[in-house]
Amino acid sequence: MTAGRWWDVIRMRFRSLAKRGRAETELDKELRYHVERQTEENIAAGMNAREAREAASRMFGGVSQIEEECREMRRTQYLENFLQDLRYAVRMLGKNPTFTVVIVLTLALSIGANSAIFSVIDGVLLMPLPYPQAERIARVFYRSTSYPKFPLNPWDFLDFRARNRSFESFAVYTHADIQLSHVKGDPVKLSAFRISSGYFQVLGLHPAIGREFDFSEERPGNGNVVILSDRVWRNQFGGTPDILEKKVLLESQPFTVVGVMPPGVDHPGNSYNSVAYGDTVDAWTPFTFDGNPNNRGSHYVEGIGRLKPGVTVEQAAADFNGLMTEMAAQHEGDKGWTIYMIPLFQEIVGPVHKMLLVLLGAVGLVLLIACVNAANLLLARAAARHREIAMRAALGASRGRLVRQMLAESLLISVMGGAFGAMLAIVGVRVLVAFLPAGFPRLDAIHVNGMVFGFTAAIALATGLIFGLVPAVQASRTDPQQGLRDAGRRSGGSGRQTRLRAALVVGEVGLACLLLVGAGVLLRSFLNLLKTDPGFRPEHVLTAEIALPDATYKDRAAVASFYTRMLANLSALPGTRSVGAGTDLPWTGYDENMGGFTIEGKTPPPNEEFHARYHTSSPDYFRALGIPLVRGRFFDERDKKDSQRTMIINEVMSRRYWPGEDVIGKRITFDDKPKESDWFTVVGVVGDVKDKPESASAEPAFWWPLMQQPFAFRSMTIALRANTDPTLLAESVRKVVRELDPSLAVAHAKLMEKIAGENFSTPRFALFLVGLFAGLALVLAVIGVYGVISYSVSQRMHEFGMRVALGASSRKLLGMVMRQGVLLAGIGVAIGIGCALVFGGVLDSLLYGVSARDPLTLIGVGVMAIVTGTLASLPSARRATGADPMASLRAE
Amino acid sequence: MSKPSDLIQGTLDLLILKTIALEPMHGWAVAKRIQQVSKEVLQVTQGALYPALHRLEQQGWVRGIWRESESGREAKFYSLTKAGRVQLDKELEQWQRLSSAVVMVINAGQEA
Repeated sequence: MTAGRWWDVIRMRFRSLAKRGRAETELDKELRYHVERQTEENIAAGMNAREAREAASRMFGGVSQIEEECREMRRTQYLENFLQDLRYAVRMLGKNPTFTVVIVLTLALSIGANSAIFSVIDGVLLMPLPYPQAERIARVFYRSTSYPKFPLNPWDFLDFRARNRSFESFAVYTHADIQLSHVKGDPVKLSAFRISSGYFQVLGLHPAIGREFDFSEERPGNGNVVILSDRVWRNQFGGTPDILEKKVLLESQPFTVVGVMPPGVDHPGNSYNSVAYGDTVDAWTPFTFDGNPNNRGSHYVEGIGRLKPGVTVEQAAADFNGLMTEMAAQHEGDKGWTIYMIPLFQEIVGPVHKMLLVLLGAVGLVLLIACVNAANLLLARAAARHREIAMRAALGASRGRLVRQMLAESLLISVMGGAFGAMLAIVGVRVLVAFLPAGFPRLDAIHVNGMVFGFTAAIALATGLIFGLVPAVQASRTDPQQGLRDAGRRSGGSGRQTRLRAALVVGEVGLACLLLVGAGVLLRSFLNLLKTDPGFRPEHVLTAEIALPDATYKDRAAVASFYTRMLANLSALPGTRSVGAGTDLPWTGYDENMGGFTIEGKTPPPNEEFHARYHTSSPDYFRALGIPLVRGRFFDERDKKDSQRTMIINEVMSRRYWPGEDVIGKRITFDDKPKESDWFTVVGVVGDVKDKPESASAEPAFWWPLMQQPFAFRSMTIALRANTDPTLLAESVRKVVRELDPSLAVAHAKLMEKIAGENFSTPRFALFLVGLFAGLALVLAVIGVYGVISYSVSQRMHEFGMRVALGASSRKLLGMVMRQGVLLAGIGVAIGIGCALVFGGVLDSLLYGVSARDPLTLIGVGVMAIVTGTLASLPSARRATGADPMASLRAE
Repeated sequence: MSKPSDLIQGTLDLLILKTIALEPMHGWAVAKRIQQVSKEVLQVTQGALYPALHRLEQQGWVRGIWRESESGREAKFYSLTKAGRVQLDKELEQWQRLSSAVVMVINAGQEA
């Protein structure tokens, strides 16, 4: 049917509905006209007036029936009936406020929770990324047997860019924060990236004013140009339109502004020195290709490309792998790598995809339980309204009409639940977003929008139909005779109905058990995480980052001397217990860049190298972070620039490369033809720190002493252990740094406890939500069990009275009723645990040190559910013991 | 007799649409015309006619207007709408396909 036809039909229906009175008179008039014409014809045929009218009426048949049929043709009957049903439903619900509140509230809670989780899923998983044709953007990594995701080499990139046939544009980027100095005021550290030309083309973004970098700016010496973010342009330069071609002081050097990006440019995220996805980047400078084009060993740029239309990621990866093989034939450093390509969307949301789906599953189960619960309550009420329904059926209400009437009630309930649920969702999403784990992607995209409201309306209506249909069909089966006869004595539900209600409750308990098992194993996993020794002591430690510009700190000596002086001044601060500096902090991620080396007197196994993560640290770095010394010594004043070269390694490195040996005094080198001075001697072994609390094990790692670093590490992190509250020292740290060099910015002053805590935020979040949902499910199941037992007791009061009369003790009656509760709960537990055993696998990747089929949790949940079921049947059991034998005897 | 059991419902719609396609008519006239044209074979009962007219009106295929009839009293005259004309063509075509199909089946039966 076309839209125009629909419009006609709707207009007609509306008219029929709005002008019902007039339509009725007209119908009457129309039919009367027909009868009159017939009468006239009859008279013309020779009948007298009375005969003629009677014959005409007879011929016409039942006027009211025809009228009714004509009315039905207006098709507004359904609507009118529905409105009538609705009015009736409102009255019924109003008469029974407790019932209404319980059922609407439980539905509102579960619909609200579903909508809140859905709005997160909508924003994170369903909405496309904010780049034009974002599905064509892919991330490019290297992969080897030891490294699943590795950055690219810049010279390899140039080869790929020139020779690949898959990408419309291909670019690399690498994190390199810069310091912006103003003529007056403190310097500001900007979150910045060095990008190859074409980077914004890949993202499909264009500068709001100015231009993108071109190829010439990738050449050494041409790179002193910058593109600013809208935020920096407004906050630091007052948003002046004449910013283009102006010089700004970055890292103490003049850079020309060539472009300003529009607001809301989302950084696609990166893994090497990672900056989270989102509007997190302040400025971009060109990546300049300098040095030796044959150096293919260092990997630190991240690849991103826009696929040509119709080219798949797999085809592109095959293309690149072909090129990689060709390049490996020319360059030793390109051997052993393959290409790993992944759509940008998957790269960004991949880490949270699983958790979100698990949460959606959990919250969906809650909704299902709420549905079952509502169906159960409605069934109980339908039983109480048995007589009324029987009366309606006896008066000629069709089954369909009865079903529709009951459905109007359940839909009204679910719509109210949905409305309150939507309100809860609006609040709930705010709370959820506030509690989302650190580094959660796409937070900005999470909103309660039309899509979410649509989802809420859909699930509200669906739940209304689901939980309403069972009781409605059940009630419509009422045999009027039976119903009216029964109703005289007591409102009786059939055995079938009781069994149905019991089955629903069993299902409810089973689903609740499933959720409880989920919450239980997440809890155990979380406790396991908390129990594991982090390998460092985060309490009372303040951390901050400093980056020295290479213009003023030209060499290793200048860098080392600055940090030495700064640390000396910091340790003199009152309240400092120990203070150190190092290239990174525990649990903040590592860039996967590993150094290869030679071990004195050992040859690596074929196709493998000795490698470990490299760092540099000041003498007190380990002490400040509370990383224990296992053997040997920490760095101290002996490890000077020109003295014997030393290093500290971790236990994993010691065990892996010198198993069973005393590692102190062993030597390694990074040169192919080492002189005596190129050897580093191991002087200490420190405890292991894993990448993240949930990592399986630590990676091999070593530290160079600050004074002997083989190249200048200009960016370092300070770790300061205080005697008291370390936050009080943050300002003193800034002051110390400013006194040494007023052009330096101290960035990201943070407590180590906070940094460590962020590593628990994801499991804590999952645990909190699943725990909440499981709790809700348990409450609903208790309501269900209580309802069924309580109803069955009220049905059997007569029987209990007889039993008392025949000498049954209260204990016995109590036992009888409680057994019923235990039985319901027990079957539910069996089903729930069976499901947990079957579906548990989906949780495994979220768990640490515990299986989703953890026997202890399963048993615990089983016991808990049965105890709860028993307790839920206790009040009804008590009531049973109060059965009056006299009342029962009199009734017989 | 109130149910349109003698005539398939779709057929009644077709007859009504075809009849009032000539000129606007009230219900009585529609019934009479069908009766006459079919040489008294097709008797449209009022119980079938009026619900059908109202259904067609609700579908937007016919429009009813009150005006003075040949007998001097006010009657509801039904006429085809534009959509109704399209519908009539559709139903005619369907009917022709159906009836020729029926004829084919019957003839095939005779040959065998």
